[in-house]
Amino acid sequence: MLYRTAGQFKTSYKADQALFPVRQDAVLLGVILILAWVVFPLMASEFTFQTLLIPILIYSLAALGLNLLTGYAGQLSLGTAAFMGVGAYACYKMITLMPWMNPLVAILLSGVFSAGVGVAFGIPSLRIKGFYLAIATLAAQFFLVWLFEKWGWLYNYNASGAIQVPNLEMFGVYVAGPQASSTVQYYVVLGIVTLLTIVCINLTRGTLGRTWKATRDMDIAAELIGINLMRSKLTAFAVSSYMVGVAGALFVFMWRGAAEPNLFDIPLSFRILFIAIIGGLGSIMGNYLGAILIVGLPVVLNTLPAAFGLPISPATVEHLNVMIVGALILFFLIIEPHGLARLWALIREKLIIWPFPH
Amino acid sequence: MRNFRRIATGVALGALLAGGAAAQEISAPNLSYRTGPFAATGIPVMNGQIDYFTMLNERDGGIGGVKINFYECETGYNTEKGVECYEKTKGDAVVTQPWSTGITLQVLPKSNVDEIPILAPGYGFSAMADGSVFKWAFNLPSSYWDAASMILKGIGGEDMSELSGKKIAFLHLDHPFGKEPLPYLEKKAEDIGFELVPIPVGLKEMQNQSAQWLQIRRERPDYVIMWGWGAMNIGALTEAVKTRYPMDQFVGVWWSGHSDDLQVVGADGAGYRSISFNAPVSDAQVMADIQTHVADKGLTESDEEQRSEVFYQRGLVMSAALAEAIAAAQEEFGTGEINAEQLRWGLENIDLTEERIAELGMTGMVAPFSTSCSNHTGHSGGWLLEWDGEQFVKASDHLMADADELAEMEVAAAKEYADANAPWPTQECDG
Repeated sequence: MLYRTAGQFKTSYKADQALFPVRQDAVLLGVILILAWVVFPLMASEFTFQTLLIPILIYSLAALGLNLLTGYAGQLSLGTAAFMGVGAYACYKMITLMPWMNPLVAILLSGVFSAGVGVAFGIPSLRIKGFYLAIATLAAQFFLVWLFEKWGWLYNYNASGAIQVPNLEMFGVYVAGPQASSTVQYYVVLGIVTLLTIVCINLTRGTLGRTWKATRDMDIAAELIGINLMRSKLTAFAVSSYMVGVAGALFVFMWRGAAEPNLFDIPLSFRILFIAIIGGLGSIMGNYLGAILIVGLPVVLNTLPAAFGLPISPATVEHLNVMIVGALILFFLIIEPHGLARLWALIREKLIIWPFPH
Repeated sequence: MRNFRRIATGVALGALLAGGAAAQEISAPNLSYRTGPFAATGIPVMNGQIDYFTMLNERDGGIGGVKINFYECETGYNTEKGVECYEKTKGDAVVTQPWSTGITLQVLPKSNVDEIPILAPGYGFSAMADGSVFKWAFNLPSSYWDAASMILKGIGGEDMSELSGKKIAFLHLDHPFGKEPLPYLEKKAEDIGFELVPIPVGLKEMQNQSAQWLQIRRERPDYVIMWGWGAMNIGALTEAVKTRYPMDQFVGVWWSGHSDDLQVVGADGAGYRSISFNAPVSDAQVMADIQTHVADKGLTESDEEQRSEVFYQRGLVMSAALAEAIAAAQEEFGTGEINAEQLRWGLENIDLTEERIAELGMTGMVAPFSTSCSNHTGHSGGWLLEWDGEQFVKASDHLMADADELAEMEVAAAKEYADANAPWPTQECDG
């Protein structure tokens, strides 16, 4: 009923190929954007900003970057966290070496460094595939974290070996560091994530995206129809690592405020891979759904017993939380192995033909 | 998606409102870690901390007639959860206890903005001692640099001169926590003339330190000083036993002195020492009060054996210091329900004399100390505790850190931190 497509006629090829062939999709996205840009910032508390809104957006961006590589180009990577680290450390070095630099420019530039590193570690993908490639990216993971620990120049020879975000101003407003307000940081993150999501949607619908998909589905066939595999794979690594690097810079500068090298270790890589897989490989929206499930849900579950006044000790809540989230992940993967994005697609299809299924 | 977010926001707001409505009590949250890789060391300390306040609430009806709501927010030692807990609790909290180094790193810069004192008893930056820079941070009763200084005095005599020409291996976790005492040890190695061999243990190698102990065997150091945490302690102890390193030349920081770790090696570990700012006194009055007012009423998660251990009693000492600060603030401001700003004053004006310690029923458990605006650590000093094969016993006289020498380093390190984080607000200390 709500999703009735009757009466929406397409009279040109352009209309038929539009981003939203169904009008309701555009309306739904508009509503979500209004919520994200206007309603949430007005009603959210500091707690909501810091534990739900900002981290969900940053994790979504990181998963989006990984999804370009794994979901669209079919190259399995286990080094996401390390590439995030490259972005974070690059941003830190740029800010401390050139304090006059605009923080936004620094964050967007830091992705360039991780793109370079990503391409370097993507070179093995020209020869190896699948699980073997995953092991090669795992080497990036170990090597880079080791480098963050041992190369003193990266953290300005700080005695504790950690990096800390200084107070950064932009047009007289603090955007990073302890003085920055959550609302400002949220808007910076939201702006960058929105921008990069639009870029991703366009990339994946264009030539590059089709090249990636061809490479993913069958690389020999792709080569036979004239696709340059080297270019296809390395651009996938570059674009993916760029997104992941920017996510890493946001992760430290707009949210955490400080980072130790082991923050960028394997558990973070796996977390982002889970978000991408549970959200749905080869989809854009899936990353957001996955991040809400993996990052947002545990936070909400943690507040429930207190909100209902249940006398459960915090340690027990934590144990229960792990069990519930684990069970939910299994549940979603069993009812729809292709992830939450596919689940939504099925629901949407059913809604379109409802109430008269064939 | 939008529905989900809306529910999430609503729930979060509801939780905050529910927390704020409580009357006549002081909220003192603790970012506990009873789950995760470090739970084994966390549980006894957490139990000690909460039991002390339960005892005060039961025995005296709180402090100055106001109940203390000492509640926990579980982080599992995970920095991400730490931020979540900090944001969740800061609404009505008068103090925050971040526990993990990573969480401390993130919360420390925010303390100036949110104006909530950080209490990091026996951990965190040693430079926090400089209260003129770290207005809101407290690491009483002793810092890591204090610990390093006390260990050197304990093994090298009051002027450390016996260490001249010796070789000391510094086995530490390769992590901000393990690196903390390095600047001090390097300085002393130069001043006194001993050779310092830093041996880092990566987070992934905690359980298997054969490479590190091979190096120790090759270097044949006169002493091994250990800055270990969690699984690293037990890994080091078992390797030391395996390689027959003399236990009486092996000394650890206070987090490397957990009875459960030593029980694994048992009698083989006899002679191992660890520095500590508290000593176990199981027949102290406060232990009897905990028995009657907390344990007998079934209000604790600890058991008899755990209560006799160093870590549990360390938790008591930590809470006693916080309780003293609350009492001091109540007296100064003439109000029962103090706020965070007033507690900050209280933490800065703790005066724990020998008499006061006796009044608290904690004689021998902690050394007297006092804090001030320029001294947020207190520098209580401590004792070397020795594992006799079954339990830890006091094995040295009261040791005091080299306060004057450390003060210089603290001021320099604090200034460096403030410069790196400009604009960083400082306060003036008179005297």
